[in-house]
Amino acid sequence: MSENTQNTAQSTPATGTGSGAAKRAAAPATSSAPQGGAKGARAVVVAGNRIPFSRAGGPYANASNQDMLTAAIDGLVARTGIAGERLGAVAAGAVIKHSRDFNLTRESVLGSALDPATPAYDVQMACATGMETVSSIANKIRLGQIQAGIAGGVDSSSDAPIAVSEGLRRALLKLQRAKTTAQKLKAFKDLRPGDLAPSVPSSGEPRTGLSMGEHQALTTQKWGITREAQDELAAASHQHLAAAYERGFFDDLVTPFNGLTKDNNMRPDSTVEKLGGLNPVFGKKLSSEATMTAGNSTPLTDGASAVLITSEEWAGEHHLTPLAEVVDSEAAAVDFVTGNEGLLMAPAYAVPRLLARHDLTLQDLDLVEIHEAFASTVLSILAAWESPEFCKDRLGLDAPLGSVDRAKLNVNGSSLATGHPFAATGGRIVASTAKELAARAKETGKPQTALISVCAAGGQGVAMLLRSV
Amino acid sequence: MSTPDPVLPTVPSDYELIQPAGSVKLPALYASAGARAASSAASDAAAAATHKVLPALRDSPVGRVLPGALRKPRTERVGAALQVPRVAHVVEDVSAEPEWHEKFCRVVHASTHPVAPGSQHTAVFSGALHALAFPVAMSVLTRKDFPLPVLGMVHLSNTIRHVTDVAVGERLTATAWTENLGTHRSGTTVDAVVTLSREDGSVAWAGRSTYLAKGVHTAIADQGARVPEESSEERAPFDPPQQTAQWVLGAGAGRDYAAVSGDYNPIHLSDPSAKALGMKGAIAHGMYTASRALALTGVPAEVPFAWSVDFAAPVQLPATVAVSVDDDGRGAHWRGSRVLVWDPKRQRPHAEVTVTAL
Repeated sequence: MSENTQNTAQSTPATGTGSGAAKRAAAPATSSAPQGGAKGARAVVVAGNRIPFSRAGGPYANASNQDMLTAAIDGLVARTGIAGERLGAVAAGAVIKHSRDFNLTRESVLGSALDPATPAYDVQMACATGMETVSSIANKIRLGQIQAGIAGGVDSSSDAPIAVSEGLRRALLKLQRAKTTAQKLKAFKDLRPGDLAPSVPSSGEPRTGLSMGEHQALTTQKWGITREAQDELAAASHQHLAAAYERGFFDDLVTPFNGLTKDNNMRPDSTVEKLGGLNPVFGKKLSSEATMTAGNSTPLTDGASAVLITSEEWAGEHHLTPLAEVVDSEAAAVDFVTGNEGLLMAPAYAVPRLLARHDLTLQDLDLVEIHEAFASTVLSILAAWESPEFCKDRLGLDAPLGSVDRAKLNVNGSSLATGHPFAATGGRIVASTAKELAARAKETGKPQTALISVCAAGGQGVAMLLRSV
Repeated sequence: MSTPDPVLPTVPSDYELIQPAGSVKLPALYASAGARAASSAASDAAAAATHKVLPALRDSPVGRVLPGALRKPRTERVGAALQVPRVAHVVEDVSAEPEWHEKFCRVVHASTHPVAPGSQHTAVFSGALHALAFPVAMSVLTRKDFPLPVLGMVHLSNTIRHVTDVAVGERLTATAWTENLGTHRSGTTVDAVVTLSREDGSVAWAGRSTYLAKGVHTAIADQGARVPEESSEERAPFDPPQQTAQWVLGAGAGRDYAAVSGDYNPIHLSDPSAKALGMKGAIAHGMYTASRALALTGVPAEVPFAWSVDFAAPVQLPATVAVSVDDDGRGAHWRGSRVLVWDPKRQRPHAEVTVTAL
């Protein structure tokens, strides 16, 4: 414990009625204990939990984001025996969110087994939301602001908010401001029958109107990613995930929910041949052959994940074993609006910057996790790193980053098999990767390093380094 | 393709400057023109289609004269040598009112900026200035002595010089005239020119629209008939650039733009009203497409610019169209932009917008 927090804890209640010290002294014991740790402490992943991911419209069709996030947090709390603990912070978020869920994470904490005095905040960075919460909680621990926190995310494509049309919304707001009957009637003057139809969230990029799949189709075409390569990656994802379930890898990473015990998008018998029979769904209007199918793209999914990140000291005090250290993370963004770069290519920029900061190469890594938004997203990023032109012109590097050994890539399956509840994906990958790193470090007796990369809407991406402890 | 005027257009010296007949107030002028059209051509199916929109027409901020054009195709003039009326219509106190401007910008997805950094006044979007000036041009095109049938004229291109920003609510004088009758392989072209000027006579904005009257092949009396542009040109196969955006245009896209531009031409409102005028179905307003395209470009605030649009195949509504935006430089380094809008299914262009810094 740092001197700083020691001093705070020793402050006397006599310093004034409104002072924080006085309030802390008056509060119950659990709330008065200082949360801060040592500045410069390592932030370690000690456990992760998620509910099985479900295809939209399935067993979670009636579950809300709050239900699912609470279930993921409670599973984590139960597994780590921290019920009633006051954590420094819980950070989570959802990409598709009801306006009533403005405090989604805090509400989930209040409904969980954690001490209700645990603060919480919502984060939104599209599909990188989970990664950003992990980074944020880890940074607070490193700064000594908190000792332990939960990072996570949730999304429901089934329980999506439905809004009134823009025309009706404006008319209703006008009506609310109207004072006279004439003004009230006038509020509806511009309303047209079409305005009565509700508006549902779409996966289109606000600035381009193109769906994520259509954007990726442009990138897929640019990099010449073949249908076969995409189907191979998709089949491998399902097979790896099935194998991981088979050997019990997910026993302490997943808690059943609403009758589901495994991700119901998983097809253990998936093969390139079977995937080859599917019709393309994206890029059908492009000049080259359309290659992206429902099989090599992620489906709309419901699910939630949570990761417990603490200082080593806190983990020791609570008899928890650190799995991996959150070393660092890097966010990048690209200009996809003008077509200068593909929508989902930001990780291709974030990763080299992160590796350079730690004097690492792609080949130094023991595990590489690249979120499978689409099989061709992973393959386009890999192709970019192998391209001397891309690495020189776009990254300013003398030599290409080179290739990634496929034996190290998404070893326990990724989003193509599990599904992709947007904000929950980061937590899923971080927890699984931390566990795999710990197992491999134990097995080999050598420190292990993993890279995680997640692309996101808005042309963004977050890369992260985890290292075994 | 059209290139922006090298200089600001000015009223030819031998033209007479007059106020449009009847009224100097645009809404009154256009409401009465619309009412005349509806009553004098009640048997005309096309005019009948416009009848429904008259109440809306009266409410619209700028009003519209188009129904006036429905009165009669001027077939009686075919055979005589063509010449445009040597007049310019001058309408004072034209302004973009705040509520109308907000609606216009919402419909064409345009964002706004102040006329100067820190100013409380919003600059009027260049496409909205076109909508503001257009009725004055139409008042010339619908004059009895205008030689071409306005109904069914094809909008070929538009070139605009946006010299300085105009503030929302600022009073301007609109001056409109026609010139440049020209021969085209499919008929006769004419330019309708409008300028928006301030009290000191300086022109803030000028637009030139080129229209084609199909099937009119009459000798032209005026000077300056142009060489047909495309008559001998072989059309190169369409090679689309990389798509950067997509617009999903609903069946009501024409009605949405009509509501803010006041351009209630039946060919944009519904399939039945468009079919009554010989179209396959409702088509998007060319200036809607042009305004949306301009709104996508990176024209920085306060930079004078010229923009032009060339129209190819009309956008049949509803439609999903492909768009490509190519900005040359950004912010202070912006030099120009090019936007192409095309039909991704049939692989044919709808419109091309070119923007250059002045």
